Order: sequence, then C-alpha cells, then structure tokens
Amino acid sequence: MLHVENLTASIGGTPILNGLDLDIGSGEVHAMMGPNGSGKSTFAHALAGRDGYEIDGTAMLDDVDLLDMEPEARAAAGLFVGFQYPVEIPGVNNMYFLRTALNSVRRARGETEIGASDFLAVAQEAMDLVEMKRDFLYRAVNAGFSGGEKKRNEILQMAVMEPRLAVLDETDSGLDIDALRIVASGINALRGPERSMIVITHHQRLLDYIKPDFVHVLVDGRIVESGDHTLALHLEDHGYADFVNHDLDDAPERPLSGAAR
Amino acid sequence: MTETSTADHQDLIAGLTFPTKRDEAWRYAPHDVLGQLSFGPSVGSAHQLPAALDANIPALTGPRIVLLNGVIDLERSDLAALPAGLRLSSFDDAGRDRPELLATHFENDADLSTDTYGALNVAFGRNGAVVHVASGHAIDVPIQVVDISLPDEIGRASCSGVVVHLEKGASATVVETRIGDGELGGSNTRTTITLGDQASLDHIVLQDVASTQVHLGRIRATQGAESVLRSHLFNLGGRYGRVDYDVCLAGEGALVDLTGLYLGMGNQVLDQQITVVHAAPNCTSRQSFRGILDDQSTGVFNGGIDVRPGADGTDAEQSNDNLLLSDRAEVNTQPRLEILADDVVCKHGATVGQLDSNALYYLRTRGIAEAEARRLLLQGFADQAVDTVANEILRSWITERMQRYGD
Repeated sequence: MLHVENLTASIGGTPILNGLDLDIGSGEVHAMMGPNGSGKSTFAHALAGRDGYEIDGTAMLDDVDLLDMEPEARAAAGLFVGFQYPVEIPGVNNMYFLRTALNSVRRARGETEIGASDFLAVAQEAMDLVEMKRDFLYRAVNAGFSGGEKKRNEILQMAVMEPRLAVLDETDSGLDIDALRIVASGINALRGPERSMIVITHHQRLLDYIKPDFVHVLVDGRIVESGDHTLALHLEDHGYADFVNHDLDDAPERPLSGAAR
Repeated sequence: MTETSTADHQDLIAGLTFPTKRDEAWRYAPHDVLGQLSFGPSVGSAHQLPAALDANIPALTGPRIVLLNGVIDLERSDLAALPAGLRLSSFDDAGRDRPELLATHFENDADLSTDTYGALNVAFGRNGAVVHVASGHAIDVPIQVVDISLPDEIGRASCSGVVVHLEKGASATVVETRIGDGELGGSNTRTTITLGDQASLDHIVLQDVASTQVHLGRIRATQGAESVLRSHLFNLGGRYGRVDYDVCLAGEGALVDLTGLYLGMGNQVLDQQITVVHAAPNCTSRQSFRGILDDQSTGVFNGGIDVRPGADGTDAEQSNDNLLLSDRAEVNTQPRLEILADDVVCKHGATVGQLDSNALYYLRTRGIAEAEARRLLLQGFADQAVDTVANEILRSWITERMQRYGD
C-alpha cells in the first residue's frame, strides 16, 4: 500500500532524511522509533507535504506518488497525519472544520457531500470512540484544549476522515495514563484490513496498548533496524545505544525476542 | 431649511479649518481624497436605487427609517405599527413636539470648534432619525436606520444624523446601515446616543459605502448609571471609512462594550478613533477591534481610555488584533491611556500578524484546499467579532459580505 524509496529531505541544505526505504502492506501497523532528531517527525511531514523541505525520492500510496501532490490532494488520496502538536485555530468551530474537511476529500474523490444532519451522526460515532462530550464539537479547533484533548481530537479527525494510511506522530506524548488508554483504544478500533498505520513514538508504553506488526528504528534519517514488536522491548531496555554511533553491524541481527524487561 | 438654521450653520462653519496630517487623529487619512469632498444643504433626490444597493440593505423586517442623500425617504421607510414605547420619527417631526430630544445632537459645544466634519454635519445634516424608547420599555425587534449616499449633480457628500435616546430601564437594538454608490461623495453621519439609568442598547453599525466614496461617522454616547451599551462596528466600505466613538460613562456602574471589525483591500483606509471617558466610579469599558488588511490597505486603531478623577473602581480593557495579508498593507495601532483615579484596572494589547502558516498547513492536511483554508482562517479571525452580534440575519449579512472580500 505504501512504498517509500530512497526518501531524502533537507532544510536549507541540512539533510534530515537520508534515503529512507519503507514498505507497508494493507492493514499493517508499523511503529517507528528513534532518538530525538532522527527524523521521525520530518518523515511524517514529508509525507504530508509541509513547505520548506527539499524532498527527493518516491512515496507511493497505492498507485499515486504523494510527493508530487499538494497537502490537500494527499489527504484526498487517503493520507492522514496526526500531529505531535495539533494547531490551535481560534474562531473556527470544530464541527464546521470536520465537515469541511470530510466534504473536501469527498468532493476531490468525486463523491457526494454529506449534509449537516448526516454529518452529526458521523461525528457522534467518532466522539464516542474517543469519549468526547458533544460540546467538544462546538468549541474552536484545539483552542484552549488540554494536551489530552488535542490528541483525542486528532483521533476523532482520523475517525471522521477514514484514511487509507494514518501516520500518527507522537500521539502518545504528553498524555496521562487515562488519556493514553482512550487514544490507544480509539486507534485500535480504527484498525482494519484496508487501513494501515505508522505510529511514531518515543516510548514502548504506547505499544503496550497498540501491538504493531513491525517496529523500525530510525537513526540519522534512515531505517537502521526493523523487527517485530519485541524490537521495541529491546529498545526499552537498552535504549538506542546499539544503533547510534556504532557500525550497523553491531546492532542485533534480529531483535532479541523475549528479552527480559 | 429655515432661515434660523441657515444662520446657525453659517456661524458653525465660519472660520473652520480642515484637519491635516499633523493632527494625530487624522494622521493616516487620505487628505487628497478628503480635499475633493464638498458639503452643502441636503437636496432631495429622485434617484432610483441601484439594485446592488437595494440588495445590500439587511433583510430585517420591522421599523425602519431610510435616509437618501440626507433626506428622509418615506417610501422606503416603515413607520407603521410601531411597538408600544417606541418613537421612531424624522428630526422634523421630533422638532415639532419633542425638540428637547434634538438638543444634545445639535448642541454647539466646544468639540465642534475642533471637529470640522462634525460642524459641517451639524450645519448641513438637519435631517435624520430619532429613536426614542420610553422608560421601562423593551423593544424586541431591531430598529433600522439606513443611510444611503448617491452623489448628486455636484458630487456632494451627504450629511445626516441619528438620535437614540433610551429612557430609564428601556432596552432596544438599533442597526445603522450606511451604504452608497457612485464615483464621488459619501456620507458624513453623526449619531447621538443617550442612555438613561439601567437602559440597555445593542447598536450595530454596518459601514459599507462604495470603495470610491468616503464615510465619516461620529458616534457620541452618554451613559447613565448601570446602563449598558454594546456597539458593534463593521467598518468595511469606502476609499476612506472612518468611525469615531466618543463615549462618556457618566453614571456609576455603566458598561460599554465596543467591538469592531475592519476589512481592507485595494487602497482603502479604515480608521477607528475611539475615546471612552470614565467619568463615574465602578464603570466597565471594553474595546475589542480586529482588522484584516490586504493589498495596500491601511488600518488605523486609535483607542483612548480616559479615567477622570474620582472614577475609582474603573475596569477598562482594550485590544486590537490585526492580520496583514500583503506586505504592502499596514496598520497603525495606538493606545492612549490617561488615568487620574485610584483603584483602576486598565489593560491594553495589540497584535499584528500574518495568516498562521501552521494553521493553513494543518487545514490542508485535512483535505481542505488552500483557498478554502485561507477563507476559513479569515472567517475564524473575523467571527470573533461577528459572533458578538446576536441577530442571525445581520450575522449572515456580514458573512456574505466577507465572502466577497478578496474575490
């Protein structure tokens, strides 16, 4: 479903992604971990189409290359990026924003737009998923939301947009244990055979709730190790030291499954 | 026009000098454009209203006075079946049976010697609308005053007036729509608001004269104890669109809440000059103005808070937030605070920024096309002023007007 090949990204001549390769099959959940500054967020925003990067390589979602498209066209192609720092938009009502977003992608796909009352049902279902009260819809987008509410709002948007591929950038950061549980169960509920996910995280903690099919370690803008969920456990115990400032040969060939925790 | 008033206006305008860039309150005004204006006694007009102008009058039903080039247009007015307690009439009618209602409006006070356009208005704006609500009456339909300026043969600007007087404990909503069309002229309006104790006025001003015209509006308000004035200014039209507020909180515990939105494009200059005087203890004032400026337009916010001796317990706040959409657009924002009392809370703040590129990107990642995302952000910024208007018809008038902004 997603085929990323030799993806490079730099800002003002400073390279951040240095030839990233990644393949994701339909319905798979991949966790992407790595030390600060390894390029995890840049990877998410390179896929989403943020301005300001010099980008090269390919990122095929199904049969279209995302890198050639405007951010809004990438969304219409089925990409959703959950932001590490969701943006506050004072004055724009959450409900109106969500409906405009959904109808924008529907229009771009040649589908009929959804009316206000039908949309309410869609929104209600999404709100139940992240245990949000109705008044949430009538507040301005993320304005004055707590950290947890912002992240729940990201998952709410994902539920409404029903993407083909969701890239969730540190959706677990800044969450207390209750919010983490809500966000994780929302994500789990949205897993399906037709939907793939890339979960970017610093911590194994999130992966206790969301069991990934694959775990990748990103260092210096490149995937240096891939494995199953046990790789995350290894990282939890040993940190990234095995992968940073070492020859890659020093890294375990396979993650140490069953490593003591 | 009687002989007496002719004599009056000769006195008023004799020796007047026009403001220049050296006058702080006129520093950013396009003086070349103002120099082309001419004023004179109102002349009746047989103009057909252009369809676009007709359509620009908010679709409110209810009591309405229409002034066309400074003359009451009875045909377009609706004075039938006025609610109990409401008097809505022309200056002429009020002059016959309630002349005292007009006294403050035409008072030749010290201000007029320095306010040239005000003096011209008082000299030539002998026509206007009087809104009077008797003590204790609550008028629940909005009362409209529509001021239309079409240039006459010699391109004169029109002068007209509005008097709003709410007696003790009365309440009402007054909507002033100021529109116009043509290459020349514009309007010079003067609104005099008097609120008795515990009276409450919701006041909406829609300024949308043609982008070739000039609008000069002055709103003077005097408030009694515990009265409430909420005035919402939408300063949208005109090559030069200017509204001055002079509010005097004269009775203890009065509240004034001024909200404004200005949207500039092309070479518009949109100017708001505000002075709120706290003359009594324990009064509250708010000034919240927002501007969006595109192309080479200019916004001006000159907001004054004047706390007089003895006005202890004053609570005053002022904010001015601006979005500049072009690197040739500019805004000039200036607070003027003069505090001569004790126990005063006085806050002010101003921001000037551009459209938030992070917000734009965020919306686009949600599939919203760039133009739509920009529109959404501008609407969101403006809605913080628009949403203060309770009436849905007026809110949609403003929203539709915004849709045309930048097209």
